[in-house]
Parts: sequence; C-alpha cells; structure tokens
Amino acid sequence: MKLTGLFKRNPWLFTGIIMITFFMLAALFSPWLAPHDPWQYQQPFLEPSWQHLLGTNDVGQDIFSELLTAGRVSLGVGFTAALIAAVTGVAIGILAGFRRGILDEILMGATDVVLVIPILPLVVLVSVYLGPGLLNTSLLIGFTMWPPVARVIRSRVLNLRQAGFVESARALGAGDWWIMSRHVLPNVLPLVLAKFVLTLAGAMLIEASISFLGLGDPSAKSWGMMLHYVFTRGGFIREMWWWYLPPGMAIALVILALNLVNLGFEEKADPRLKRVLER
Amino acid sequence: MEIHSHPQATMAVKTGRYMLVLLLIITLNFLIPRLMPGDPLLNIIGEEAYYGAGGALETLREGLGLNQPFVLQYFSYLGGVFTGDWGYSYLYMKPVLTAVMGHLGWSLVLVLPAVILAAIAGAFTGSIAAWRRKTGTDTALTGSLLLAYSMPHYWLAMLALFVFAFMLGWFPLGRAVSGGLGGFAYFADVLWHMVLPLSVLTLSKAAYDHLIVRSSVVSIYGEDYILTAQSRGISGMAVLFKHGLRNALAPLVTVTAIQFGMLFSGALMVEVVFSWPGMGTLIYQAISARDYPLLQYAFFIITVCVLAANFLADLVYRWLDPRMR
Repeated sequence: MKLTGLFKRNPWLFTGIIMITFFMLAALFSPWLAPHDPWQYQQPFLEPSWQHLLGTNDVGQDIFSELLTAGRVSLGVGFTAALIAAVTGVAIGILAGFRRGILDEILMGATDVVLVIPILPLVVLVSVYLGPGLLNTSLLIGFTMWPPVARVIRSRVLNLRQAGFVESARALGAGDWWIMSRHVLPNVLPLVLAKFVLTLAGAMLIEASISFLGLGDPSAKSWGMMLHYVFTRGGFIREMWWWYLPPGMAIALVILALNLVNLGFEEKADPRLKRVLER
Repeated sequence: MEIHSHPQATMAVKTGRYMLVLLLIITLNFLIPRLMPGDPLLNIIGEEAYYGAGGALETLREGLGLNQPFVLQYFSYLGGVFTGDWGYSYLYMKPVLTAVMGHLGWSLVLVLPAVILAAIAGAFTGSIAAWRRKTGTDTALTGSLLLAYSMPHYWLAMLALFVFAFMLGWFPLGRAVSGGLGGFAYFADVLWHMVLPLSVLTLSKAAYDHLIVRSSVVSIYGEDYILTAQSRGISGMAVLFKHGLRNALAPLVTVTAIQFGMLFSGALMVEVVFSWPGMGTLIYQAISARDYPLLQYAFFIITVCVLAANFLADLVYRWLDPRMR
C-alpha cells in the first residue's frame, strides 16, 4: 500500500508513529549525534551559537547535547516501567479471567486496591525514602501502573474463553497453561499494545514529574531533571528560553505522539465507528 | 479509575471494599517508614528532627514506642491516625495536622473552580468536535487540545508565568496574597494571583474532558437511536444536544468526580511553579527538608480524598446510567 494511502486512512496513527520513531532514533544515536560531552564543564550561561546550538547551562554543559542524552533516560525509564506494568497486568489479567473462581476474586480485589491509590503521591513518598536511582524509579512506576492493564485484559479474556477455538482446544485435551499461552495470549496482544502506549505516556510523565521535584538520579539526567535545574538554578529567572523550552517541548511532543497513536488505535478498533465513517 | 464494578455487587459489598482499601492505605502508611532502608526513627520524624536531637534520640525512640512490639506499635499508630495525633513537623514548627490543614484550603480554592470550568468547557468543545468530526474544526480543536493535554502541567505553568508575568507583567510572579490587605482588597488580590494557575489547570483538565466527551459522543453516533433520530429528519445540532450529549455525559461525570477526588493532589506540580501555598508546595518543601511525617500525612489526606471521590463517582454513575441499576 502507498504511504499516502496509509496516511489518509489513519492520519493520527501515522503522524504519531513517525514522531515517536524520530525521538527514539535521536535518543538511540545520541552519543554520535551530540556535538559535545553532555557532562563536560565549559563556560556557563552561554547564549545559543553555532558552537553551542542551545547555549550552555549553569555549570557550562552544552544544552543541545544534554537534551539528546536526556532522551535516553526519559524514554528508557518510560519503556522499562511500561514493560513491567504491561507484563504484570497481562499475567494477572489472563490468570484472573481464565481461571475465574477465588483466584479471580483475589487478583481483581488487589487490582482494585492498587488502582485507587494515586500514583504520583505514592511514587514521591517511596522515592524520598529509597533515594535516587533509575532502577528504583522504573520499578516503582511499573508496579503502580499495572492495574488498568489487568482490568482490560481480564474482560477481554472473559469473552475469549467462550470462543470456539478455545473450546475446541479444550475438547482436544489441551491444558490451561497451553491454552493461555498459545491461544489467549496471542489474541490479547493487540489490546496490550494499545494499553502499552498509554502506560508509556503515563510513566514518562510520572518520571518527569518526580525528576522535576528533585527526586531523580543526578548521575542520569532526564528531560524532567533538566527542567528541575532550569527552575532551581536560575535559568527561568534569567529568561533563558533556549534552556527551558526544549526539554518541555521534547516531553510534550513524545507524549503527544503516543496520544496520537492511541487515538489512531481507538478509531481503528471501534467497528461501530467504522460503520458510521464509511456511510 | 473507578472501582471495578460487578453489576451484581451490591452497595454494601462495595462499601465494605472501600473500607478495606482505607485500612490498607493506613497500614501502608505505617509500614513504609518502618520497612524502608535506614533507621525507622529517622524515617518517622524526618532528618531535621533526627540530626537536631543529639542525645535525646533514645528518649524520642522510647516516646514513639519504637522499642515496643510491632503489633503494639501498629495499634497505637491507628489510634493516632483517628485522633489527629499525626506527629510534629519540624519544617513548619507545628503539629503535622495543623500544618496540613493550613494548606488544604488553598489547594481547594484552586482545584475546585478549575474542575468545574474544565467540565463545562470540555463538554462544549468535545461535542462540537464530535459533531464536526473529520473536518477542519475537529482537527484544529482536538489537535490543539491534545497538544495541551500532552504538555507537562508544570511546564505549561512555566510558559504562562514567563509570558504573562515576566514579559507582560500583567500578573504576579507567584504566591497567593500580597499581604497587608483586608476586606474586598484582599479578595481581589487573591483573585489576581489566582488567574494564571487557575487558567493553566483549567486548560489542562479541559483538554482531557474534551477528549473524553468527544470519544463518547462519537461512539454513540453509531447507535441505532441516533440513526433513527437522524432518519426522522431531526437536524444535526438537535440530535447532538437532545440525544447525543445526554447519553454521552456519564463518562464525563465519572471523570469529573475523579478530578474532584484530586482536590488536594490535582494541582501539585502547578502549585510548585507558582509557589501557591497549597498541598503541592507543602509536599515540595517537605521533600527538600526530608520532613517525613509531613509527607506521609499529605499522602494520607490525598489518598483518602481520592477514595471518597471514587465512592461518590460509583453512586452518581449508578444513578445516571439506568443500565447499572
């Protein structure tokens, strides 16, 4: 299919995928793309120039190189956390929905409990005690964000377990684990992907927020932490827009890209909507 | 975010569940400082108090009952939670309860109007966008609100602060009052300080409401009763407002109820940028000072409020959607 056709059919999904790919490539190749070592101290508070595209910060680090490198941490923590949340959520959702009974009650009870606890305040509270660390942050965010995934997967599995192919696999003598891994899991994967995109956006925003509050790992700067330094080290008061605009814009554009992808999925997934659009 | 609802679950069962969650959160607040790395005494009273105590540490430990068995500690902690004995904040030099109460009101006056204004704005723009979906109006409205929704709130706050306070000088740089004013002048002064943070909050919440309303109105366009109404020749606008919006309102009500639950936490980051003296600033300062008791009970208050709002949302939702009854 021609690319233009793809774009016309689902412009939001297409735009989102292009944007997110761009940011991931920039982060991935940052060591080769960055013109300076983002940790090297040079002359502080420089304005943008050909030498320093976005100037330098309060300790003389090149802001453009910092921006590229920080993308790795922001995206890395986001992906790790979202992956943890997705795997946990899928495992719990499939187990609860497929096995039913008392296991379902217990797992969904736990899901409901974690679901109501506000994530940001909890992550802030525990981070204060645990101290900074990328792994801590990723684990903490991951293990607070799985409940929505588990809920959605469970209700899909409830439908699936009555499907013909599951019934026939059972009639052929397949065990629960076989059916869950070979028949149920592949069928929920598209849904998992959609949920993963939203979780990733949420996880990145939480990471950015706690880094902005000063709870990030100072040895691994993220976009949120760049904003923390702008805010606490006078970049804002000095009106250095080239320092505080880029990190916020980077976060906003990545989240926007993920939201676009999600919106695209939604339009694609809703058959009723499709019926209306085709009329 | 609403509590999972089995249609057959009665309200009594649900109430029981909420009580269980409440107890769990209270217990979590007890366990976190005691199980985290480091001296539990330090984790409970905070760094300032701990390092400032000198030789009195053991007396403090004794006084807090940290030498007692775990179970006894738990019960005396429970008693403290319900009698308002929440410990002492060394940052504010007053009991935690007093310090927290002094900040709750300021968060409330900011978040309450923001949630209401956002719901009205979101319902309006969301249904317009759904009605005109796949046209320029929809793309422009939904696209720009999606961008606003994707921005970190505190960054949006920084932008607003920069343009309208730094550059144009129309609004103050932060805080909620100028001081030294009384009566009507005080009231007007607070309003003047409120304009920027309130606008930022309203915009970010309205953007979300817009997306919710748009997607639920769009989805009912495929429903048979809408098709019937359209085939009877009822005009687009009439169908939208008479049949569409009413039925699509339930998700917005749920979202709004959840946002009410975030009365004290919904503005955390925005408050920090504007030095608005609410819970956000309280938490920010407590983080910097490692004032643990303050942090713990800030979390406690926030969570209880979220819980209460979820409960309320459940009730309202049942009442709004006849299929749930």
